[in-house]
Amino acid sequence: MKYTGSLVLFFLIPFFACNSKKKPGEDRKPAALVQELPPELHTELYGNWVGDFVSMSDGTPDYEDVARINIRLSRITAEGVEGRSVVKGNDRPMKGTLAITGSQYSFVMDEPGNDRHDGRFEFSIVGDTLKGKWKAYKTAEVKHPVKEFTLVKKPFRYNASLMLPEDWEYVDYENGRTQTELYTNEDGTVDTSINKVYRAASEEVYRLNGSTEEFSEKQLKNLKKLDLEIIRNTIFARHGYSFKSKGVRQFFDQVDWYVPVTNSIDGVLTEVEQKNVALLKRFEKYAQDNYDTFGR
Amino acid sequence: MQLTKKHKTTAQFLALLVLGFFSFLMLEITLRYVPARSTAAFLQIKQTEVEGLWYYLPVFYTHVYASICCLAAGFTQFSPYLLQKQRNLHRTMGYIYVVVVLCFSAPTGFVMGMHANGGWVAVLCFTTLSVLWWWCTLQAVRAARKRDFRRHRFMMIRSYALTLSAITLRLWKWLLVQLFHPAPMDVYIIVAGLGWIPNWLVAEYLICKIKSK
Repeated sequence: MKYTGSLVLFFLIPFFACNSKKKPGEDRKPAALVQELPPELHTELYGNWVGDFVSMSDGTPDYEDVARINIRLSRITAEGVEGRSVVKGNDRPMKGTLAITGSQYSFVMDEPGNDRHDGRFEFSIVGDTLKGKWKAYKTAEVKHPVKEFTLVKKPFRYNASLMLPEDWEYVDYENGRTQTELYTNEDGTVDTSINKVYRAASEEVYRLNGSTEEFSEKQLKNLKKLDLEIIRNTIFARHGYSFKSKGVRQFFDQVDWYVPVTNSIDGVLTEVEQKNVALLKRFEKYAQDNYDTFGR
Repeated sequence: MQLTKKHKTTAQFLALLVLGFFSFLMLEITLRYVPARSTAAFLQIKQTEVEGLWYYLPVFYTHVYASICCLAAGFTQFSPYLLQKQRNLHRTMGYIYVVVVLCFSAPTGFVMGMHANGGWVAVLCFTTLSVLWWWCTLQAVRAARKRDFRRHRFMMIRSYALTLSAITLRLWKWLLVQLFHPAPMDVYIIVAGLGWIPNWLVAEYLICKIKSK
């Protein structure tokens, strides 16, 4: 009998848990409050501001560490500014203030601070350019605590027919392999040279579109792993996926149409894209396991 | 340099060691298909056939499981000692080899060859390989039954050389990839032929040498 109380509790807990989960927006949106919200200002500044997020070391830009950042301004009122920063697969909310002097809009915005990479953005918008600086809160815990950026406004719209530009070479400079080579000099002595070898993608990466056509196995069989990876990630890039890995970012950060807007694309892929992603992943796995090993 | 008997024994021992090593690798590859699944290893890029042809999976798995047995024959069937002293063992092993090749491995190899990756060149190479393999093995049995052991021996050298293409084609693939990093199907088409044609030539060379003795 003495367990009855706890038993009853045990069975009741899930009901409470369900109840509290069922209506997450309930207390956020009572009809009365909506009307009391302060009016929105300067809505022309809303949208995605996109460009290079450049690490600074000793006051000079370090172009080895550049990523495409998107600062999205989503709400400006007299009380403050709300927005998000999306960079390197981090999608962070931020809040702050706006001060206006003449034609210059100056922002100071803070990320929540519960992530190692959180920090403070200070930037100003003059005309069509957003320029500023970011400083990490925990300067000791991140590699480059100071970044600079100059951004322009770029709308994001999913477009299935976007492709990687053809006039580039897609070479994986992030994952090179050192190769030792022997060569014989003219006088007969033998030297070794150590070279870095990089994987290059084939032209198929800007021909095969995984968002518009359903691939057959035959189309993918002659592709190398890098080709498969790039074709798959191009599908994600069209949806504005922000990539964590530098190895992937190197191919998309320079692409004109690419706007990182989110780090989650759950549920946004079309049926064709889902099928292609599954197929590409299978081929990538096969390439990983078999390409340069004995066996098949 | 004249090869002494000692050199020959060492060479034979080394050859056996190499054969053992690669047979072990083949066993390891075979084990990737245990338990049988429709998406194991190579089948990951063969789903068009797996889903479109009802007979592909049974044929594929028969080929994989049966063919590993063929390799084992090399350890016993060419040993002069076992040939002379253990004729029954030779005969039993021989029948296993012959039945596996004729009834299972070569016919399934032919069907798989018909659907090979890499287009008509690869299809031609793989189907030719399986036909030759089947034919040489059959001729070898018929010769043995007619007690024409000389012809039996030559045909079995050819048959086993073709059996070894399982190893050599994977070795070529590995080598080509290390050296040139070609696209996967380009290398596949090359090894479809390179896997067994040099083996065949080596077999002919060995037969010539034996004949000229």
